[in-house]
Amino acid sequence: MIAFEHVGKRYGGRFEALANIDFRVRRGEMVFLTGHSGAGKSSLLRLIMRLERPSRGKVRVAGHDIERLHHSQIPFYRRQIGVVFQDHQLLFDRSIYHNVALPLEIQGVEHREAARRVRAALDKVGLLHREGALPIELSGGEQQRVGIARAVVNKPALLLADEPTGNLDPQLSADIMALFEDFNRIGTTVMVASHDLALIARLRHRTLRLHDGRLVADEEVA
Amino acid sequence: MSRESAPSPRGARTQRPAGGIRWRAWARHHRAMVLDSARRLLRRPLGSLMTMLAIAIALVLPAGLWLTLDSARLLDAELEQSATLTAYLEVGVGDSEAGRIEQALAAQAGVLDTRLITAAEGMAEFHQALGLRDALARLDDNPLPASVVVRPADPAPQAVRRLAERFEAVPGVDEVRLDLAWLERLRHLAELGQRVTLALGVLFGLGVLLVVGNTIRLAVENRRQEIEVITLIGATHAFVRRPFLYSGAWFGLGGGLLAWGLLTLGSDWLSAPVSALAASYGASFHLPRLGLEGSTILLCSSTLLGWLGAWIAVNRHLAESRPR
Ligand SMILES: Nc1ncnc2c1ncn2[C@@H]1O[C@H](COP(=O)(O)OP(=O)(O)OP(=O)(O)O)[C@@H](O)[C@H]1O
Ligand SMILES: [Mg+2]
Repeated sequence: MIAFEHVGKRYGGRFEALANIDFRVRRGEMVFLTGHSGAGKSSLLRLIMRLERPSRGKVRVAGHDIERLHHSQIPFYRRQIGVVFQDHQLLFDRSIYHNVALPLEIQGVEHREAARRVRAALDKVGLLHREGALPIELSGGEQQRVGIARAVVNKPALLLADEPTGNLDPQLSADIMALFEDFNRIGTTVMVASHDLALIARLRHRTLRLHDGRLVADEEVA
Repeated sequence: MSRESAPSPRGARTQRPAGGIRWRAWARHHRAMVLDSARRLLRRPLGSLMTMLAIAIALVLPAGLWLTLDSARLLDAELEQSATLTAYLEVGVGDSEAGRIEQALAAQAGVLDTRLITAAEGMAEFHQALGLRDALARLDDNPLPASVVVRPADPAPQAVRRLAERFEAVPGVDEVRLDLAWLERLRHLAELGQRVTLALGVLFGLGVLLVVGNTIRLAVENRRQEIEVITLIGATHAFVRRPFLYSGAWFGLGGGLLAWGLLTLGSDWLSAPVSALAASYGASFHLPRLGLEGSTILLCSSTLLGWLGAWIAVNRHLAESRPR
């Protein structure tokens, strides 16, 4: 599903955020990405979303070299990936409902069908009763969950999450991770960046460890 | 488009809805954005009005000039109708001979009508013009020739000149005078006016683009985060652009309507003195109003300019925020 082939990423020509990253994620796998702050986790996810372009090497998703995507194809590529952003990226001038509905609105999904899917997604993250609220009225953890609902509302084949449990208490973190596992069970490929090492250890999934932009460990769990 | 082949994590092809559904979704989004952009405009009524006024002011000058020129063309045509040439007969040609010559000239092709001024009538006019009354009595010999004033059917300068050449070949005609210089001067002036209007139109059209472009640039700046987010989750450039294009079109349309109002008011306000002034020169000239056609052109072009200004502003933003 995802293949990095000797990928390097420099910012501003000098600073090397990622160096010689080489790994493969199979379809339907669930993978954790860990590393200290600044190790390059977000950069790696941004490469997959084609928000950044590699300075060297190749990133393949579903067998395609995404570098070769024409810029007019990129939106259609991104629609296939659900992303939970480290900084939520919610729109503060519209309700929770409309935030979650955004990907469907972009794809022109019919209103009734959209409403059904939005409610299902909000229900999964336990925020159905807050659908009319504005993001500002929600706690950080609740905003994070709205971001998760938005990422899964489109039933993407690939789900990327950048610190999805950063603002959550241990119980909620475990719930959210269980949610990702649910998605994984129905065939979604899931990649979660996190430094919650205790939680990662408990969940027993394959873990990629970054250190200063290098892949230092790739631990499969038996 | 090659979008169909966008690779997808699900397989070789991106899942896309069927054509009919996609078209309906597209139409729905357009409708939603027409309303959404109008609502945003109304949410800041004063700011929107200022932008529209700026557009209107930029449009009024070239449109007003164009209108004035348009009516000057009518005046021009009227003046051309009064183009005449005068054939002076040889001195000593008698009245009956002069009558025959007039008949000969009137029979020529391209002559609308003729009027004979006998030597005596010419003298009388001459004296009247000079304010002399009894000089006539003192002059036994009339030194003035009789003349025939001819109105040509075709007032174009070349046609009139050809007519004059033919008249000069008629026996008994001494000299043909045609007063074309002022007509040509008028024509040059009209052309100058047209070019100035065109130049001003282009210049002020650019002004409208800048006004709308700047307003939309600010709107884009205000919604930068929203644009970023929807781009992250797969909005196409067309989708991002749409609300701004409609805002631009609304600004243009509003500006055009204001310009139309200003022009109508202005021509009402100026019409009385202008007509009076024209009347004092013996001409009938009325300030024109924008007809249906003119109004349509004004509104369409202002709307289009607004839309174009928005397009440029949004595209500059989109080009800047492409991944490197
Ligand atoms: N747009 C950018 N321009 C320049 N440098 C950047 C940019 N984005 C990231 N970096 C640098 O690249 C390095 C890796 O950043 P990245 O955001 O990938 O880290 P991270 O592992 O996600 O950290 P965290 O856990 O704090 O989110 C950092 O040192 C950061 O300063
Ligand atoms: Mg990060």
